[in-house]
Amino acid sequence: MALITNILNNAAAVAKGMSVTLVEMLQPTITDAYPEGPAKLEERYRGVHVLQRDENGLEKCVGCFLCAAACPSNCIYIEAAENTEEGRISGGERYASVYNIDYSRCIFCGFCVEACPTDAITHGHKFEIASYNTSTLVYRKEQMLTPLPADFKPLVVKQEAPSAGH
Amino acid sequence: MSTSTAAPPTVVNFTVDGRQLSAPPGTLLIDACKRAGIEIPAFCYYEGYSLQAACRMCLVEVEKMPKLQTACTLPVMEGMIVRSETEQIHKARKGTLEFLLTNHPLDCPVCDKGGECELQDMVFRYGAGESRFTEIKNHEPERQWSPVVFYDPARCILCYRCVRACNEGMGVGALGVTNRGVVSEIAPNMVDHLDCDECGACIDICPVGALTSNTYRYKTRPWEMQHVGTVCTHCSNGCKTTLGVRNDEIVRGNNRDRSGINGEFLCVKGRYGFDVSTNEERVTSPMIRINGKLEAVSWSKALGFVAEKFRSVSTAGGSFGVVAGPHLTNEELFYLQKFTRAGLKTSNLDHARSGDLVTLLDALSGKTDALATSDDCYNTKAALVIGSDLSQQHPFLAFQLRADVRHHKANIYTVTPGPVREAKYSAQSIEVPVGGEFDALRNLTETLKGEQELVILFGDSIKGQRVRDLVEWASGLGIPVKYVCLVDYSNSRGAMDMGVMPNLLPGYEVDPHPGMSLGQMLSHETLDVLWVVGANPLRGKTLASKQAFVVTQTMFLEETSERADVVFPSASAYEKNGTVTNVTGQVQRLKAAVRTMGAKTDLEICGLLAKELGLAVEIGVWSHDVVFKEIHKSVRGYNVPLPILITGGAAATNPVNGRVAVDVRIEDIQSAGDTLFTSGELGRYSKLLTSVPEFPGALYKR
Repeated sequence: MALITNILNNAAAVAKGMSVTLVEMLQPTITDAYPEGPAKLEERYRGVHVLQRDENGLEKCVGCFLCAAACPSNCIYIEAAENTEEGRISGGERYASVYNIDYSRCIFCGFCVEACPTDAITHGHKFEIASYNTSTLVYRKEQMLTPLPADFKPLVVKQEAPSAGH
Repeated sequence: MSTSTAAPPTVVNFTVDGRQLSAPPGTLLIDACKRAGIEIPAFCYYEGYSLQAACRMCLVEVEKMPKLQTACTLPVMEGMIVRSETEQIHKARKGTLEFLLTNHPLDCPVCDKGGECELQDMVFRYGAGESRFTEIKNHEPERQWSPVVFYDPARCILCYRCVRACNEGMGVGALGVTNRGVVSEIAPNMVDHLDCDECGACIDICPVGALTSNTYRYKTRPWEMQHVGTVCTHCSNGCKTTLGVRNDEIVRGNNRDRSGINGEFLCVKGRYGFDVSTNEERVTSPMIRINGKLEAVSWSKALGFVAEKFRSVSTAGGSFGVVAGPHLTNEELFYLQKFTRAGLKTSNLDHARSGDLVTLLDALSGKTDALATSDDCYNTKAALVIGSDLSQQHPFLAFQLRADVRHHKANIYTVTPGPVREAKYSAQSIEVPVGGEFDALRNLTETLKGEQELVILFGDSIKGQRVRDLVEWASGLGIPVKYVCLVDYSNSRGAMDMGVMPNLLPGYEVDPHPGMSLGQMLSHETLDVLWVVGANPLRGKTLASKQAFVVTQTMFLEETSERADVVFPSASAYEKNGTVTNVTGQVQRLKAAVRTMGAKTDLEICGLLAKELGLAVEIGVWSHDVVFKEIHKSVRGYNVPLPILITGGAAATNPVNGRVAVDVRIEDIQSAGDTLFTSGELGRYSKLLTSVPEFPGALYKR
């Protein structure tokens, strides 16, 4: 008698386990096919930084160094220069002539993005930056800047508008 | 009631925020509070300058006074009860800041002042988080007033600090206020540009980013810099300057911590003259003349070549001549004189002398406390300037005298060959041609006898016997007199103290075997070796000896290098550690701010040369602190308190008080007559100094 009860109990346990498997088989897949397929990232994922442009195609970065000041791992290096009438690079008075981020030190904490007063630096979704050569991990401004669309025409070269209120 | 003439009270008691305080009568409330550790915010109030009461930030509540009072113009009174933190005051401060921000742009991220801005700090502490103004801000474009000064009217909060600093502090008065009301702004004296000292005091004193400096604009943010407190390397006044260094590059010179003898005073050289160190004409490698052309070689080859030559000349009994520069540190000068006397066995050692301190010391023999320091220039009741355009040649001493007049109502007397700026506020100014000074002095005798004390500053026209005559005349005045013998460059005084003279050892001890002076070396026809360290003696002069082997340690290929057989690249004073002694005999510490590729300090070059010659053991270790220890121990007057030096202060040396019985060749003593915008050999290679429209300037013009 005890033997039959034992067999039935075991069969019930197997059926219970298999039912979980069966239910899961019918659920949508939540794992990624990465690296065979593309990785799916959340919108707010913090990857390699992207330097943004404004609606006129000018760089948003004004070279204020606040990101470098906020950076806990001290990986941002900036040199600022002045915009001239002939060569306007950014919307503000000055721009970053050199903007480097050392990804061998960056911890992707996002403090720089929070510190930026002009929303010039944001996190992109690029993350495959591993390298056998650490010197390639120092990214220059050109590598991080959003490219201008091929057919881009600036609407109007924006003069520094007086800001209202504060 | 009696009519007793009771002495005025020496102390006033009053209450601030419930605390019992006391201060001498006449103290301003804002100062008294500051000393007691109670902060009262202010923009326009600035210690040392006249009162303005323009910014309305320092309002405080005083009992029995119906309205809020400005603490910056209110002297403390007996029994006064003050409150500095009340609801009403907070509201007033908030309102003031809200008004200041109606037009002040919020471009802090691109403003040079961002991070060290007084308005930022005030708004952060006392301001409102938001504004009720929705109107568009008035905007005026930025203007450039000079190669140095930029003015952004939109950022200006009209505190008038710059106007007062220029007018009262510098005695220039190049800034003023134009227009009225909401369109008021600061204006330069030449309508659209400045004609001034280009000292940059206005930029430094500006609480916001309205005045910015062209050399520093956009180079860095304040928190990105390391601050290195060192001493200006140009004139002999020895102002302390704090260099802002970013990535091994000097980007700014100022002295905002107001430490050192000069407080925050700096002239155009101290604030901007550091660019000599980054001039691209700097020599970066040792060079040997091969087939008439200087070719870059390795250090070991150049050192070996020079040592070989020195050795062969020495064995053949040839003559050496050593010329030191007036910008070297005390350590380098001491080491060099030891090298020359103990190593090369000669006293043919000199520097370009610019003042007759030796005769002065001799003439003052037996008098104690007869040499003035820069503090004495500020505290004296009367000062007499003879034969120097002080504002041009010794800007810091002139600043001290101006402050003395403002704060202590001192009487300044000048006896000069032409008009000087001091005439504007002096008690008496006499213009006499060089040579006629003593006639003018005799006319002043009776006036000066009425003074309580006197500081005499004299230039290079008083030398030799005339120094003795001056001391004799001054002794006849019957009042305590102190002297300043004016010399040219940052360590001209140190060169004399360190015995870089043919007839005097360190500490003004008479050399038993005197050598040739600079003039004699240059005209000596069979001189075998001329070794020039940090100087340019062949500028406008020729070397008589055709056979001379010339070695020079220099930053630039100047006239001496053109004649040189070997050139060593040396470091500038901004790249050195050591000490320098200023015109009033105060020792201060130099700190290396940057490094320059290829160059070595003169101390190291001399040391390596000593090692190559096998003299290193005899002359000693070429490390600045070891050499300073020796100076501290052995040179008379240099046993100064070390804590003062280490903490960046100025320690007064106490030179010999006794006879200095040597012949002084007065034809060797000649000031270079530098103006505010020239600085001997260094000034030629400062792009900023040579770019200002006032360059080269002239003495005795205003």
